[in-house]
Amino acid sequence: MNSRILRLVKSEPERQALESGQVDAILDPSTGNVFLLPEAKRALSSARGEATNALLAALPRRDYQRLLAELELVQLGHGEVLCEPGERIQHAYFPNDAVVSLLVVVEHKALEVGLVGREGMVGIALVLGEDISAVRALVQGTGTALRMKAAALQEALAECPPLQRELSRYAHAKLLQARQTAACNRFHGVEQRLARWLLMTHDRASADRIHLTHEFLAGVLGVRRVGITNAASALQGRGLIEYKQGDIRILDRRGLEAAACGCYQLVREAGAPRLRESAD
Amino acid sequence: MARSKTLVLRLYIARDAPNSARAVANLAEICKEYLHGRFKLEIIDVLESPLRALADGILVTPSLAKISPSPAARIVGNLSDRSSVIHALGIKE
Repeated sequence: MNSRILRLVKSEPERQALESGQVDAILDPSTGNVFLLPEAKRALSSARGEATNALLAALPRRDYQRLLAELELVQLGHGEVLCEPGERIQHAYFPNDAVVSLLVVVEHKALEVGLVGREGMVGIALVLGEDISAVRALVQGTGTALRMKAAALQEALAECPPLQRELSRYAHAKLLQARQTAACNRFHGVEQRLARWLLMTHDRASADRIHLTHEFLAGVLGVRRVGITNAASALQGRGLIEYKQGDIRILDRRGLEAAACGCYQLVREAGAPRLRESAD
Repeated sequence: MARSKTLVLRLYIARDAPNSARAVANLAEICKEYLHGRFKLEIIDVLESPLRALADGILVTPSLAKISPSPAARIVGNLSDRSSVIHALGIKE
């Protein structure tokens, strides 16, 4: 950092605070400018520039400020596993533009039971007083998230009623989603389920393009790969999506909503209160 | 009428930056636990009002200034060392 700025800090207590990393900014009396230290600059620019998690954004400013001290911005990559079933939950994740699949694992086979994006949080068990994960949290869409240590979240829940309220509502939404998904998986066809799943992912991702292989989708929906290929071709044939070399682009959102089963609207309306409005 | 000593404080922060956020949180806890409402706190964001902060003699944020009762005091940093903050503010435990 600019040595001229650092030389402005003369007094012993100020020097000590600077050295122990407790300083965010230094003011320059000669110009009236404020110089942010690198950590502070990074924290401030990331909080404003990117799409922020909606649960956190819904909190009163003062409460959000307090939480910020415990939140760390991380980059999540496609395929990264955040937690396995039976493991202690280390962190709660609040995605910005990353998208995370929650999978139940039964005899080495995995099935998606939930999807988490900027509308929610990974690690909802913590809200209900449980610190062991029941699901595998698998990063589906690369992006950023804010994460907080499990213990810090538990403390924050006790001290911050607005956070408790937001997360309780979200926990209920997740419950609805899981119940509906159970029925959907049993009664609805692959084409409808794929349409629904594409819509849910699109709601949470920040881009119109989703990059995923048939293999990955087959795993997530619990069907054979050929089933995905057929369903995707059908949706493509109807002009609803374009699926080329793993890149899925939604061409007709309204059409895709019609192709999906009613489960999509049900879960959307009853649950996930902070999902973005569907594209026009 | 007994005069209760209201502590007048000014906290200078840099918006949501980490140390500033910690300072806000730590101060809130201290006020809740020790002051029982007998305090007046003004929070100044140096990113919004740098000249005001400079006029008040602030160089580094976060900074906490005790305006009254005298003696005036200044504490720099995120206020995580609770006992030194309490001592500097003249609060009796």
